[in-house]
Amino acid sequence: MSLRENKFIVAALVFTIVFAGLTFGNLPGPETALGSQTIDNVVYNFADYPSLNHEQIALFNYMRGLITTEEVNSFDNWNAGGFSGLLHYMFAFTDYVLSSYFETIPGYRTDYTRNTAHTLIKKMNTTVAEYGNDSVEYIEWESRGYPDYYWPNATDPTDLFVGGFRGPTNIMWTGHYALMQALHERCFNTDEYVDELTWFVDDWNNSLTTDGYGNATEGGIWGTGLIPCEPYIVFAQCNSIPIFTTELYDNIYDTQYMESGMWDYGLNFINTVMHEEYDLFIDGYYVQVPIGYTGSMGSGTVLTVPGPAVSRGFDDGRAAESSYCTAWTLTFLEYTQPERTIEDYPVFLEKYSVPVSGEQMYMSGSLNDYGSFGSPNDMLGTFFACALAKQRGDSVTVQRIQNFLTSPYNKVWSADGREMHYDTTSLSPFLQPVMAGFRIWATTPVTIPDLADARPIGFWDYPYISQADDEDIWVYQALWDDDNSAFILNIKVDQTATLTLSNFDHAPTAYSGGVPLSELVAAGSDYVLTLSPGIYNLVIL
Amino acid sequence: MSEGIADEHQGTNDLSVLEKFQVQSPEMILWTILYSLLGVGIYILIELIPMPYTMVSLFAFGFAPALAIIAIVGAIRGPIAGLLTGYLGTLLYDLLFYSTVVGMTLPYLAYGVLGFVVGLASYDMTNGRSLVKMSVLSAVGFVFTVLLVVVIGLTLGGVSTLVGIGFVMLPLLTIGLPSVFFLTPLFARLWYAVMLKFMPKALPQ
Repeated sequence: MSLRENKFIVAALVFTIVFAGLTFGNLPGPETALGSQTIDNVVYNFADYPSLNHEQIALFNYMRGLITTEEVNSFDNWNAGGFSGLLHYMFAFTDYVLSSYFETIPGYRTDYTRNTAHTLIKKMNTTVAEYGNDSVEYIEWESRGYPDYYWPNATDPTDLFVGGFRGPTNIMWTGHYALMQALHERCFNTDEYVDELTWFVDDWNNSLTTDGYGNATEGGIWGTGLIPCEPYIVFAQCNSIPIFTTELYDNIYDTQYMESGMWDYGLNFINTVMHEEYDLFIDGYYVQVPIGYTGSMGSGTVLTVPGPAVSRGFDDGRAAESSYCTAWTLTFLEYTQPERTIEDYPVFLEKYSVPVSGEQMYMSGSLNDYGSFGSPNDMLGTFFACALAKQRGDSVTVQRIQNFLTSPYNKVWSADGREMHYDTTSLSPFLQPVMAGFRIWATTPVTIPDLADARPIGFWDYPYISQADDEDIWVYQALWDDDNSAFILNIKVDQTATLTLSNFDHAPTAYSGGVPLSELVAAGSDYVLTLSPGIYNLVIL
Repeated sequence: MSEGIADEHQGTNDLSVLEKFQVQSPEMILWTILYSLLGVGIYILIELIPMPYTMVSLFAFGFAPALAIIAIVGAIRGPIAGLLTGYLGTLLYDLLFYSTVVGMTLPYLAYGVLGFVVGLASYDMTNGRSLVKMSVLSAVGFVFTVLLVVVIGLTLGGVSTLVGIGFVMLPLLTIGLPSVFFLTPLFARLWYAVMLKFMPKALPQ
């Protein structure tokens, strides 16, 4: 018996080889090499330090390309199409993703990373005055007909002016913009945004604790202790962002806004009023009759104001809820009220998750349409659930959702191998940057609560990489180990590259495998390390 | 032509149901269970290896060799062994690596159907036509598997139609059919060659 005697087996074998070759792709990227070395009896185990992997860096490079290769008032790279109203969310959450990325490699702070975040903030703050209709202000605010707004009568100019792009009734932009600024200060300590950030926090404090004219009022202007957007609805998710921002602001600048009770009324309102039958959050609460309201929200549903937003698909007045609202809120409020997130997370999973298989699951957009998929809320709920699951240490749920989200799409690498993204054009091109961002968010070791804490004391004096041939390197680990006074650097070098390290008070030596590799060369007050192509686990002492 | 593990020309009609299912005696039951457990172990090991694939729209192209393991166990040891391998292999894999069991284990049973269907016939692994029959029955069994997985997902799992059809059925069919059609006979031939070399007496006459 031989294969020659069996044509079918030969044909099957040939087809298998050819077909396997033609369909080869989408394999997982290489794992980060995490070695160990001993120097002066101190063991440096690289697995003990946070790290990025090759794909995460390639995804970051892709995101960076989207951000930096167009003018700040151009949004073509994002394929937003019919989703342009979501652009400012895209910029904001991309910034949070980048912050988790930067936090993983805090000792790598060159212009390459800093400018990416800086440009994103500029895009977020494009105004009508400067860019006309090619601006976030136009897309997010003016094009929706919200330019001027008053309280309590929305159209009466003699009442309290609460309108305007910069708030206070635009928390869905001001909250995110301020958080982007706060995270930039946390990550890069430039002081560039301190004044504007402080103005926002003070303005929120005024809205939440006074009647808007400076007279102390419980519940603030709108009586809910929360700030509206759209501009007459308070959302738990939108307010979770300025709450988180206030926490971070307090931690960076040693202020006591949170301790003063600025958000206490609102948090209580979210926890006791803005929830549905399962104690999860409802998706909005009307504080004022919307401009143009004709007496029905569709399907005959009548709105009670003030009162919960109602589900538009039903006429029984049930409250609107969504998985994305709950997941987003639980994620960003975990730092402030961890017990609530811990308690609600399993309920959230039980009510919204839809098992596709043991390996895959997604989140239904709404309890009122369980199992549905295809609407933006379904996708958003699934994305945010993944971020929340990572935060809760639920690696199984993270993996199952990631399998569902990424497996239907090909990984596309750039010709130079520096960038990667998922090709989502079969479903929606707009998903492409969303998928890249959430993939990083779901897989880096840093969580949202981690980002609420300021840098440790002395951090800004730690040695760090201040300049580098960024386009030729892959930085998997870069941080100062303060306990051992050592700079940990895990790097892949494509072409001979130099790195400038600042803040060393002596000429340091780079060790590899426990033996000296190279002494860094002094350049002014800095030191330069030159590396040939290769992968290095370096301890710089 | 040499004798295969069960000469199809002996006529399957002569075999009782118990014999066809390889459970006609305690010893045969034990061997069937052992084959199943071996199949489960190999299935899980292969499933752990990331396999390359390419997406074209919602169609997935590539190979899922673990599926062929279910089919080949059915071909070698009969429908019960195939059923158990598919059922327990997929169930244990999800349980061990995702701490998850879905749909009251019914979707896993659907994978068992693949092995069951393939095991219903007898094969001569030295004969090309017999291997073609194995391929065809593997494909038929897998179609049943996919339909059951989708129906169970849509009904018990509450999965949306879009997901059930677009994200489950289409990719599963397009990656699974070539896998069971081409890999099952290749694995069968490989198994036969190994057994012939190292354990020829274990091959049924």
